[in-house]
Amino acid sequence: MKILLVEDNERVSQFVVKGLQEAGHTTDHAANGRDGMFLAASEPYDVIIMDRMLPGDIDGLAIIEVLRKAGKRTPILILSALSEVDDRIRGLRSGGDDYLTKPFAFGELLARLDGLHRRAQGINTEMPLTVGDLHMDPLTRKVSRGARPITLQPREFKLLEYLMRHAGQVVTRTMLLENVWDYHFDPQTNVVDVHISKLRQKIDAEFERPLLRTVRNAGYTVTADD
Amino acid sequence: MMRSSAVSLALGYVALGIAALVLFAAPLWYAWQVTIQEGRSEILQADAQRLTDVYRRDGAEGLKDFIDTRVRIQIAGDRILLLTDATLRPLAGNLPVWPSGVPAVSGNYTIKVAVGDHGVQEALVHVAHLGSYNLLVGRDNTLFAPLQSHFWYGLTAAIAVLTIAGLLVGLITRRALMTRVNSIRQTVSAIIHGDLKHRLPTHVNEDELNTLSRTINGMLEQIELLVHGVRNVSNSIAHDLRTPLAELRSRLEELALIRPPPEEAYAEIDGAVADVDRVIRIFDALLRLAEIDAGMRRSGFVSFDMSDLAANAVEFYEPAAELKNIELVFRSGAPLSVSGDPVLLAQALSNLIDNALKYAPVNGAIEVSVRKRGDDTAEVSVSDNGPGIADSEKGKVVERFYRGDASRGTPGVGLGLSLVQAVAKLHGRVLELSDRNPGLSVTLCIPLEAAGATAIATAPQSADGAGVIVPATVVPS
Repeated sequence: MKILLVEDNERVSQFVVKGLQEAGHTTDHAANGRDGMFLAASEPYDVIIMDRMLPGDIDGLAIIEVLRKAGKRTPILILSALSEVDDRIRGLRSGGDDYLTKPFAFGELLARLDGLHRRAQGINTEMPLTVGDLHMDPLTRKVSRGARPITLQPREFKLLEYLMRHAGQVVTRTMLLENVWDYHFDPQTNVVDVHISKLRQKIDAEFERPLLRTVRNAGYTVTADD
Repeated sequence: MMRSSAVSLALGYVALGIAALVLFAAPLWYAWQVTIQEGRSEILQADAQRLTDVYRRDGAEGLKDFIDTRVRIQIAGDRILLLTDATLRPLAGNLPVWPSGVPAVSGNYTIKVAVGDHGVQEALVHVAHLGSYNLLVGRDNTLFAPLQSHFWYGLTAAIAVLTIAGLLVGLITRRALMTRVNSIRQTVSAIIHGDLKHRLPTHVNEDELNTLSRTINGMLEQIELLVHGVRNVSNSIAHDLRTPLAELRSRLEELALIRPPPEEAYAEIDGAVADVDRVIRIFDALLRLAEIDAGMRRSGFVSFDMSDLAANAVEFYEPAAELKNIELVFRSGAPLSVSGDPVLLAQALSNLIDNALKYAPVNGAIEVSVRKRGDDTAEVSVSDNGPGIADSEKGKVVERFYRGDASRGTPGVGLGLSLVQAVAKLHGRVLELSDRNPGLSVTLCIPLEAAGATAIATAPQSADGAGVIVPATVVPS
């Protein structure tokens, strides 16, 4: 992915640029609103990471609004130290696609960038999903692994569907909470892990190759690769 | 003194009173004057007529005798009679000469004349011609003089009393007002200097100042509560953040000092990240609480089905309950449309279920129920059969960072119930903790959709049952 990072804090920028490079992405960095706006408008990026509060007269939300008015549809992830729900809503309303509060775990940032990139490429929600020998048909709601049908509770189905749509990509607990349960808060427990282990029982337990894997310090991923 | 509102008001009333008196007296005076004048003229004319009749009947001599007789038997000197010939020479009557200034033309005149021993008096006289004789009849005005002077004295006295009483009342009111204003001022300046314990003096009677004092006291109550809360929270934050920060610091220092092999170092770094995450988590919880306390989220109220929200929360915790072999039961009737913030209520409910899961024993039971209470409230209860909370601790558990004895050794930062409490408060309702023997039942009340608009403004309702009610709102009455 080609990513633009608009962020004035040097440490955070360094940390993000380095991390993204290690994950195999090309990253441009702008340290103020003016440069950020110029780069975002002139270069083709897959995803833009926009700090909300920038030095100078142009802040992150203003840049996003200008870009959207100019017809740029590049997915934008807003980074902000403002965590209140209203701030979040305002950020998303200005044209941002996702909102991440500082301080954040790098894994969370990476997972969300992947998610945004995929969403932008467009996904057909009716197409059957396949990961290795695991199949899911969103229309008939049938799930099977190899020849064996698997019965899932509605919420388990939703959880697996989300994981499969992001196959090969790390999905964090927060992403699962937000997208599967629509919970925009931290339940402070490992309940998500318990759900995952139940799901794992159903899709992986009796098979040699586990598909649903835990990614240490980040979250989970469904993949058929080794 | 003139700048005192009480005195100016009193003076205003005095002026108004005087104006009213004058307005009342002036027409009365005028009407009186007119009536008396007319009445007197009529009486004089009647007198003259009677004498004229005597003259017609008995001639000039007869009239002379008649007048002489009348003058003789007349006791009071209030009547004037004089008969003269054409040259104004007196023939009979009680005036020695024709009074100067009165023309010998018939009509009414007011003159000054001395009659008998009454001295010079003002008198109204009537002049009539009888053949070549001139007749003068009159009555002096002394009869009405006392009445007139009474009228004037009365008016003056009324104005004087009004002025003095008005000023007196003004001064007394000012004194009373100044006393109360001074006591308020003293209290307020004590508060300004930082002693929030003071309250304005109030009385039993409900006058304006009292109502104001009560309202201000309500405000002070709330401010003291908030300040106290902030102070508590700051202390708790200092304490609760210090612990993970201290751990983090020693971990990093040790790492720098010992320089262990990479594998070990990585594990330590992971631990350090977890420490930081704990700090962030506490911060997030505090920010969320502050946000709720500030009432900023009231704009985000929508109507939604509480049963549905609770069912989802129960479903979310189901696997965790299974893991501990706890029976998690959900009871609810028809959908209950409530007005509130679904994100916060989901978080509050999830905190309650999470707590119950923490404290319920293995093989225990938790019941989550959604019911309608009265006409305007939906109640969501989470009950467990764990150790419960002692009555003495019920008030404390909702305080920020408070952790009861039972919670020692369990994960958490002691903000869970504070958040539930704050959410209840935001929704204008109460949080109730009651015993189940064994176990604890926590009930969160929220306004039903139709009641949502008024719920915020009303005080929390007292609940039936033996539960301890933790007031979620302090509403000054």
